[in-house]
Amino acid sequence: MRDRFSLLVATLAMATVVVGAMSVTQLSAQGPVLKTPWGEPDLQGIWTDESDTPLQRSPRFANQEFYTEAQRAELDRDRAALLRRDRRVERGTELDVAGAYNAVFTSQKRTGARTSLIIDPPNGRIPAMTPEAQQRAAADRDFRLALLQSTDTCKNKSVACAGGKYDPTPSPKRAEPPPRYNTVRINRHDGPEDGALPDRCLTLGLPEFGAATGSFRRIVQTPGGISIFYDVGQGQGWQRNIVMDGRPHLPASVRQWYGDSRGRWEGDTLVIDVTNFSPKTDYQGSRENLHLIERWTRTGPNALEYVVTIEDLTVWTRPWTVKQDFTRQSDQDNRLYNEPRCIEGNYGHPGLIRGARMEELAYAEGRGPHPATKDNATDFVGVEDDPLQ
Amino acid sequence: MRDRFALSMLTVAVAAASVGAFISASITGSSGQGPIARPATVAGKPNFSGIWQANNEANWDLQAHAARPAAVTQEGVYPYDYARVPAAPVLALGAAGAVPGSLGVVQGDGQIPYKPEALAKKKENADHWIDRDPELKCYLPGIPRAMYMPHPFQITQSTNKIHMAYSFSNTARTIHLDKVEGPPDDAWMGHSVGRWEGDMLVVDVSHFNDRAWFDRAGNYHSDALKLTERFTLRSPDVILYDVTIEDPNVFTRPWRIAMPIYRRVEPNMQLLEFRCNEFAEEFMYGHLRKQPLVKRWEGETMTIDITRKIPPGDQFYQWYSR
Repeated sequence: MRDRFSLLVATLAMATVVVGAMSVTQLSAQGPVLKTPWGEPDLQGIWTDESDTPLQRSPRFANQEFYTEAQRAELDRDRAALLRRDRRVERGTELDVAGAYNAVFTSQKRTGARTSLIIDPPNGRIPAMTPEAQQRAAADRDFRLALLQSTDTCKNKSVACAGGKYDPTPSPKRAEPPPRYNTVRINRHDGPEDGALPDRCLTLGLPEFGAATGSFRRIVQTPGGISIFYDVGQGQGWQRNIVMDGRPHLPASVRQWYGDSRGRWEGDTLVIDVTNFSPKTDYQGSRENLHLIERWTRTGPNALEYVVTIEDLTVWTRPWTVKQDFTRQSDQDNRLYNEPRCIEGNYGHPGLIRGARMEELAYAEGRGPHPATKDNATDFVGVEDDPLQ
Repeated sequence: MRDRFALSMLTVAVAAASVGAFISASITGSSGQGPIARPATVAGKPNFSGIWQANNEANWDLQAHAARPAAVTQEGVYPYDYARVPAAPVLALGAAGAVPGSLGVVQGDGQIPYKPEALAKKKENADHWIDRDPELKCYLPGIPRAMYMPHPFQITQSTNKIHMAYSFSNTARTIHLDKVEGPPDDAWMGHSVGRWEGDMLVVDVSHFNDRAWFDRAGNYHSDALKLTERFTLRSPDVILYDVTIEDPNVFTRPWRIAMPIYRRVEPNMQLLEFRCNEFAEEFMYGHLRKQPLVKRWEGETMTIDITRKIPPGDQFYQWYSR
């Protein structure tokens, strides 16, 4: 859930309203595989996953691929109770101010049938990381914790400081670059690059498994061509134009935020091979070596099956596979969605940088504490713990 | 929605008779192996699918203009307008920062029929190009500007939708050939509804906001903008793009621009990303850095010293002092 609760001002505040009004489109035609007039399988329309399923299976359901009806009902009941709650921490504290989003803002969809989106490995869990990937992840974590070490977050042993410890002496890491290109929120705002990618309107692209703020994909086809527009991340929409003529991937020197997609039909399934990701992207620790093999299959008038195998042998000891079921959405109800205009309303990101300069000035003039004691990274305390995650 | 599906089925039936033979001849692998060549028609209509790009100077200025040394200039040795020199923000680009001349794309007398007060605002916009042009901030380009920016775009033409994906700023628009009402709010890219007049694609675009510009010369519109775009396939690789522009808040009468848009015929052409919000970060937030990157001359090292006075009303950061 990389971009799940980005701090950005909601440029598409309307979006929450529209999401609420989402309805399933009813098609009159029933039949075998729907085809375009030119004979290719028809994947067209706006699609989303209408249920919530955790990426990884909870240990509580370790031996279950599917929930029982009773378990789903219980989860739905527990999760419905979260809706519209406004959880607060102690009033007047920094953490309370940082709670930009609460359950009034977020929404819960009905619990899905499966206990995990991951269908392979059979245990529904992301495979073990390679030792090298674990080392890289540890270096990232140590850097992040070093920037927090002099704050109340660590002093009070908050969960955000898990794995670190309080030290009133500011870390020398505050003046160092991160171990590798930063993608997450860290407690430093020296410049734009210290911002998390979602805070910079640079939400990661693929794989895209949905988020609390919605995840919609519009597919339009032409003979030999497919275009997909993703509406995700509060105005951080983006597009894929699938190259379908069998040519090889882009040269290795050309790297993109959304990778390079090469598609082909295997029977009625659209198979897309995605490589050439930018080293600035990060999915669960995987960067430029991420390789996706997606399979899109229209399984009914309102149903589209999406299966993706995720591979990076420099990060995981084996490939793993995720399956999602999309439902067709109303064209009319989703007609607002093609504007990736996050940047225009993004006061949060420069606000964090400017705030850091103000704190430095206050400290220099003897009006404020040492900036290293301030935590400007930890937030979302107002969000309830979803029993599904 | 039921209508839409029925319509597309009807289209299939009608199209089958007229173009079925052609499509089956041009499709090398119907649902299994091999790529599909781009047929000349989709459901009996000219196929605009592919990657396209205008090759003109319209994004600099829709109107005729002589070349000039830079997009931002200052008074040089002489006090004449024609002898100005590049100003600091673009100085380091040398001749690459110059503006190419153009005969313009405005039809008829070549003039944009501004109301007097609107013309004054256009001139003010031009004076404050760096502060006001949404392109520099990587905001969405709007229509028609997205069609002639110096970036390619891709058309994916289906039977009930025509999707246009622009590399600039990840933006896109869907032209609805079926009935979809306009959005409940205004948008940079507007709301596009298309129809066929013979072999011509006619698109009515409305529901614009008042923030997009037509070009880098300060030409602008209000939220009353309405466009009628006409796409004609002049040859397999050239679109004749003709737009009638109406905005009673800004212009005294409708006016037209027209230009060819060319297919990117390179065999390995594909739309690459131009995710410019990353590129605009230094421009927008650089002054907030702990260690600013923009400094001064140090010895023989050229470090651009920018004095950028933003007039009241245009200050992005006014928000902070509220």
